[in-house]
Amino acid sequence: MISENLILDRGVSAGDAWMTVDPADIRQALSTLKDGGYRLLVFLTCVDHLVDASRSFPARYELVYELRDMDKPEHLRVRAFVDGDPPRIDSVHDLFPPANWEERETYDMFGVVFNDHPDLTRILMPDDWVGHPLRRDYPVGGEVVEFSEEHEIWQTAPDKA
Amino acid sequence: MSTPEGVTISRTGEAGAFGGELLTVNFGPHHPSTHGVLRLIVDLDGEQVRSVKPVIGYLHTGIEKQMEALRWQQGVVVTDRHDYLSPPINNLAYALAVEKLLGVDVPPRANALRVIMSELTRLSSHLVWMGTSGLELGAMSMLMYCFRERDTILDMNEEISGFRMHTSYIRPGGVMADATPRFLEMLEAFIRAMPGHVDEYEELLTMNPIWRSRTIGIGRLSAEDAKVLGATGPMLRGSGVAWDLRRAIPYSGYEDYDFEVATSDLCDCYGRYLVRIKEMRESVKILRQALDRLPDGPVNVDDRKILPPPREELETSMEAVIHHFKLFTEGYSVPPGDVYVAVESGRGENGCYVVSDGTHKPRRVKFRSASFVNLQALERMALNHMIADMIAIIGTADAVLGDVDR
Repeated sequence: MISENLILDRGVSAGDAWMTVDPADIRQALSTLKDGGYRLLVFLTCVDHLVDASRSFPARYELVYELRDMDKPEHLRVRAFVDGDPPRIDSVHDLFPPANWEERETYDMFGVVFNDHPDLTRILMPDDWVGHPLRRDYPVGGEVVEFSEEHEIWQTAPDKA
Repeated sequence: MSTPEGVTISRTGEAGAFGGELLTVNFGPHHPSTHGVLRLIVDLDGEQVRSVKPVIGYLHTGIEKQMEALRWQQGVVVTDRHDYLSPPINNLAYALAVEKLLGVDVPPRANALRVIMSELTRLSSHLVWMGTSGLELGAMSMLMYCFRERDTILDMNEEISGFRMHTSYIRPGGVMADATPRFLEMLEAFIRAMPGHVDEYEELLTMNPIWRSRTIGIGRLSAEDAKVLGATGPMLRGSGVAWDLRRAIPYSGYEDYDFEVATSDLCDCYGRYLVRIKEMRESVKILRQALDRLPDGPVNVDDRKILPPPREELETSMEAVIHHFKLFTEGYSVPPGDVYVAVESGRGENGCYVVSDGTHKPRRVKFRSASFVNLQALERMALNHMIADMIAIIGTADAVLGDVDR
């Protein structure tokens, strides 16, 4: 199974087992877990912990990998905390094929860049969209109503899109 | 994704196996058989499919963002709308996740009503699938037959919750209201009639030569591929893997019901059809058991911090007024933490990952939708088939685009 020195922290949240690993070790951790029986990546997502006073987090973005051993059946949540602009982590699309679209979605919604992803483009939002909607500092209602006066101004995307 | 801009057909110049050259064709997004707005960029060699690139996002409605702006109990209404063919099952995933964070258990009658609504929804979702897929593959009358029974189910939805489609019936802490006597009568009549109706569908399709020639051997997905690609639901069971969350990780008391997990070893579109037919029969079996053993008692947890007090208490109790006021202004708070709960919908694993920061609104809600993951298996199924078979393959993948794009 996974060697103890990869695990930074572990625990149980509302009955779900989880462990935290260093983002630099994510591929190594997930591939050892995959060899240990956790063959299905149920989902992959990101949580933005911008100004969350309830707990303390090592970094703003938390990548969440929910793994499942279908034979037992057992769940395991692997977390990795990343920071930076843009936040970066290695892609796991070759270990778990469903991660391909999930990583594109996470890039689209949170701006997390997955290194070595074959086609890291927006998947749900239009290709020319500015910003990453699920970040906590992206306002609800911030998008412009099309064909309004406001739209004329906004149509020209800022240079640093 | 590298897409030909605004061009519907372009020539790649690459030579095909039949002396011609490869064509890139835009399939959708408004093709009627794509069940919503799914766009596929297909490379064709003659009529054979050489590559498929799905382009999604046309139905993206920002549901996960909206959930963060709504209070915990308000979010239920939004969950109805991502997989719009199975609202109560979406409600159930969200309600179970919130309840797990709160650490509450719902009373037995609420669990039984949740099972009844889930199975009715599974039936109506499979009926829509069968009606539209039949229509696409030339069995026009299927739509009439299937929508006839679906309408009975929608009538029952209306009777129990007041809404025909987006019921918001299952909520954290229980269900919206108890079943009415008329609902139970309608359910009884439905359970008696439904097995005969499933026989009718089988008479129309199972040995129908057109249906068989269009589905048998089409869209093969081996068990190993299905597992690796993360497919769930009838896609996985149609490849012979007996994986059903109701059996593997039971919730809402499914462990007490006697039913079989439908599988088929055919691994093709016809196999997935057989799985869904079998599942409809099993759903009726579960409904029969649930109705016969429907326990008495309350349908909501007795916790004034989560659910409002009954109307009559408001006139006599100050405490009740305070609770009522707090719930409808601030809402309730959920302890910090995160939780993932998955339920089996008509399409596969419908999960809900909820993160709470201890306030009255969720920090993050992620819907793990079966359609989104299943759609990634499309290329594997469609490769080297004729372009006309894409219709059967998209149909039996049964992706709901609202669920894909959320």
